[in-house]
Amino acid sequence: MERICFHCGDNLGKKPLQFDDKYFCCIGCKGVYLLLKENHLTDFYSYESNPGLKPLTSSQDKYAFLDLPEIRQRFIRFEDDRIAKVSLSLPNIHCSSCIFLLENAHKANSKIIHSQVNFTKKLASITFLTKEMQLSELALFFDRIGYPPNFQQKKETLETNKSFILKLGLAGFAFGSIMLWSFPEYTRNGAEDNSFRYFTSWLAFLVSLPVLLYSASEYYISAYKSLRAKHLNLDIPITLGILALYAQSVYSIIHYEGPGYMDSFAGFIFFLLIGKWFQNRTYQSLSFDRDYTSYFPLAVRKIKENTEEIIPIETIEIDDLLKIRNQEVIPCDSILMDDKAEIDYSFVTGESVGVSVVKNSMLYAGGKLLNASITVEVKEITDRSYLTQLWNEQLDKKKTSTYQRYQDRVAAYFLWAVLIICVISMLCYLIIAPALIMKVVVSVLIVACPCALALSTPFAFGNAMRKMGQLGLYLKNSDVVEKLAEIDVIVLDKTGTLTDTRLTEVKQVRTIEKSSDLSIFISMVESSTHPISSAIYAHLTSNHENKKTVHFDSFDERVGNGLIATINSDVFKLGSASFTNQNMGVKGVFFTKNDVLITFFIVQSTFREGLSSLLNQIKLNHEIYVLSGDNNKELSALIDLGFNEQNIFFNQTPQSKLDFIEFLQNKGKRVMMVGDGLNDAPALAQANVGIAISEDMFKFTPSSDAILDAHQLKNIPNFIGISKFAKVVLRVCLAFSITYNIVGILFAVTAKLTPLVAAILMPMSSITIVGLSTFLIYFRYLRLKN
Amino acid sequence: MLVVSLIIALFFLVMFIWATRSGQFDDDYTPSVRMLFEDEHKQKENHGNPEI
Repeated sequence: MERICFHCGDNLGKKPLQFDDKYFCCIGCKGVYLLLKENHLTDFYSYESNPGLKPLTSSQDKYAFLDLPEIRQRFIRFEDDRIAKVSLSLPNIHCSSCIFLLENAHKANSKIIHSQVNFTKKLASITFLTKEMQLSELALFFDRIGYPPNFQQKKETLETNKSFILKLGLAGFAFGSIMLWSFPEYTRNGAEDNSFRYFTSWLAFLVSLPVLLYSASEYYISAYKSLRAKHLNLDIPITLGILALYAQSVYSIIHYEGPGYMDSFAGFIFFLLIGKWFQNRTYQSLSFDRDYTSYFPLAVRKIKENTEEIIPIETIEIDDLLKIRNQEVIPCDSILMDDKAEIDYSFVTGESVGVSVVKNSMLYAGGKLLNASITVEVKEITDRSYLTQLWNEQLDKKKTSTYQRYQDRVAAYFLWAVLIICVISMLCYLIIAPALIMKVVVSVLIVACPCALALSTPFAFGNAMRKMGQLGLYLKNSDVVEKLAEIDVIVLDKTGTLTDTRLTEVKQVRTIEKSSDLSIFISMVESSTHPISSAIYAHLTSNHENKKTVHFDSFDERVGNGLIATINSDVFKLGSASFTNQNMGVKGVFFTKNDVLITFFIVQSTFREGLSSLLNQIKLNHEIYVLSGDNNKELSALIDLGFNEQNIFFNQTPQSKLDFIEFLQNKGKRVMMVGDGLNDAPALAQANVGIAISEDMFKFTPSSDAILDAHQLKNIPNFIGISKFAKVVLRVCLAFSITYNIVGILFAVTAKLTPLVAAILMPMSSITIVGLSTFLIYFRYLRLKN
Repeated sequence: MLVVSLIIALFFLVMFIWATRSGQFDDDYTPSVRMLFEDEHKQKENHGNPEI
């Protein structure tokens, strides 16, 4: 029976821990359970099943940098003698149990007074006793229960747009009230008592004034800016409609003819704002605009006269000595002081395998240290390091947004149509009944209000965005939906995008016959810190259990070549073809004994699943390219998956990736780029649609238009399909709104438009659009729910 | 009659504006989950009272 950890739900390893008739996968999970039990917080487990998160075994001083005054100040929002308030970003918040636990944190830690969670933003506001607990202690506390705080995020605007809610609420209040008061207008049958009518008319006037001046202000501003830039956008006809409605209504009120079109006026603005609200509900906990500074740590360890002190990254100076530990990012270009080191540059240059470096070689900012700690001497501060300079130059190229939304193109036609109808009806009525000209023209302007038009885009694309979010692609805003539907070229990065860097595949080509040889080889790779050695070690020990460590007479690791060990008179070598004197014409890692080949391995990154079928689906309509910062050792694997050899390029630098995309765009193509690392950042910015792929939704991703969950890479055809369908839905909605407009205009040009007609048409058209777009998108893609 | 209903309506508008400005609508999801958590006091009470 497969048992899972009671706390986090992971598979129990070989040695599960037991307590209270429950099983745990590790001491961390068991520890959290004990803490919850002691503090009567076991309700945590009742809201969701296995809601816990496996705590990382973090070192004691992981958060030590938070106690530096300059850094602490950035996060403390309020402080007095007794308490301090801090707002922590806790990306691991994912369910109701999390909310329960975090808001009851004060029960588990007496130094915390109060905590409040904002689930959508994944934030926790904590009030704690300043004198009794350091900020680093607080951070460590949350880290230990499974919610490590993230301090790298740029200070996002935590203030919700309160003014927008006010505008919406005011418009809603006005709409409801005025429509209620206007009801008698609809059922008038010559009633004589007009005092009620006058009273409600003036009321309507009063209530609609703030709506005109405040709620609708965004539309006037946008229309004005658009006119100044000599572009036409949909806000221009919207403003025209608003003003026409208001002017006509004021005229009616002043002449004691009733509240005029005030109800439609308020309703119009209310529906527009709802559309805007729907469109703007983005993913507040994700960040689409991180630049490279979020990738670097906030503080580093400086070595001064044999002691280590922690300093903020901005205060690093040239010639400083820094200590860098396992898995930490190198903060600036520096020289290695130790004998050797292994650096992982995959995020920065795209090389998939760690690089071995020796003493006095240059280490570049952005690389991650694998294995043992090192000391380095700074040669260039972070901002002026080679790679960060490269990103700065390229990201300075602001992508000028000349992109015009489809709805704005429609707006132009719409305006012209309205103008022409006005002119024609003016001329006609000049002949037939000149007294009615004013009435007819104003009626046309009123009824041709693009309410339904303006709602089509937010709802069609907003629903598409939601659907895509459910399936694992999170868009920055609804414009991306349109752009996604129009692309014809897809460019993919290799390392980290097509491959999963956490897994390596080792193929052993021959079996090792002698078990004594096997033990020797296992001991050799065990002693090496190179990532390839670790991968081979894992592979060899998964199949064979014996773990007798063999003692060598001599053992050496030759950087860039391989391992060499001697026992008695036998020489064992593990390494590249040239090092082991093998001439097989294949790239691999060879094991030899006295220059006789025993076995060899092919070490590859694992490609994500579903790539072949992905390619088969998108090849039909799109060109596909692969740009890799790595060397060409995996060319054959790529070809096997189905990529076209001529469309694969290796050894790409961040600049060359950017240039390639520009080259395609100059040929008139619309390009989608999928990448993950900093080496893709300029290309992602340049592409029409830049998608950052991510294993862990809250780790650093470069600036992008959308973030894709790594497991959903194979669903790209579905996402493109949803976008294209959304465009179809948009057109259907536009057709409906035009139909409503035509009906309305018929009333207008026959001088039969009354407030009743307008009050019916407008809500009806809005509801049709909203319902239709939601219905179409959700039901079409119902089966795809993940 | 109309004036009374008007005053009530205005009252709600004012309350809405006050609530928005003091942060009521900043987070519209978490309160829905929060209200499902059981109070510790109520729990202890329930354990104390014998079933009738």
